[in-house]
Amino acid sequence: MQVLVVDDSQIMRKIITGALKKLGVNDILEASNGQEAVEMLGKPSDIGLVLMDWNMPTMTGIEAVKKLRSDNVSIPVVMVTTEAEKEKVMEAIKSGANDYLIKPFNPKDIQGKLEKFLPALKG
Amino acid sequence: MKAENINPFILSVTETFEHMLDCRLESGAPTCVPEDSNQPDIIGVIGLSGTAQGIVALKLPVNTALAVVGKMIGAELRSVDSSIIDGVGELVNIIAGNAKVKFAGHSISLSLPTVVRGGIYKLNNLSNTVWLTVPFKSELGEFAVSVCFKAEVSSQKEATHASVSCG
Repeated sequence: MQVLVVDDSQIMRKIITGALKKLGVNDILEASNGQEAVEMLGKPSDIGLVLMDWNMPTMTGIEAVKKLRSDNVSIPVVMVTTEAEKEKVMEAIKSGANDYLIKPFNPKDIQGKLEKFLPALKG
Repeated sequence: MKAENINPFILSVTETFEHMLDCRLESGAPTCVPEDSNQPDIIGVIGLSGTAQGIVALKLPVNTALAVVGKMIGAELRSVDSSIIDGVGELVNIIAGNAKVKFAGHSISLSLPTVVRGGIYKLNNLSNTVWLTVPFKSELGEFAVSVCFKAEVSSQKEATHASVSCG
């Protein structure tokens, strides 16, 4: 099972992929904006979870989630963002995001999301 | 700037370092310094706008920046490259993002972060504000965070952006 990390910040992708590798997830794909993610998720793949930033150029994370859900792509999406206000969280969930991870986070926070959405990876 | 408005930023810096980097911080007393007397090597700047306005500046000596960003990505960094610049930008973005939610009742947006390297610059504050600077000590090195902030918005909105003059 693959995890797709979507963030326009290369360093943030490094941080997240580093944490995923420490947690035993080595099959990781990366995209630098929502458009790239939508294109990758529109093709057959083994992606089982998407970790999606909110603020990105070309297509934001929330626009990408809306597009995915309108295209009937049901892969779980966890928003990983500094947008921590309750209204923003509600907007993301209403748009089709499955969960929310607020920056700053640590590997244990990511582990919690993996266990929730990819229980097959556990153990 | 009301002195108590610095507290959410101090708390945010502490939380960010403890939660993301597993690094405990010791903060010093905030000081009102009109001009940087001890210029740092790398500075990450981000603007806040909305029902409150401000600028947050994360000021790091090179050695601290190398240690902090190295810890962020789990690598030993020896020189300043694009990873350091991106890392400092991401860090100030996270600190400001975490701080803005601590101002209850306000709707605050962040600008894109800017990172400046070198010692010859002047950081301009917003009008009718002063810089409050808080020094921090940690196992990763010393650094400082400067904030200018005003919660009252005038009828004519002032554009908030990270303003750095180089010379």
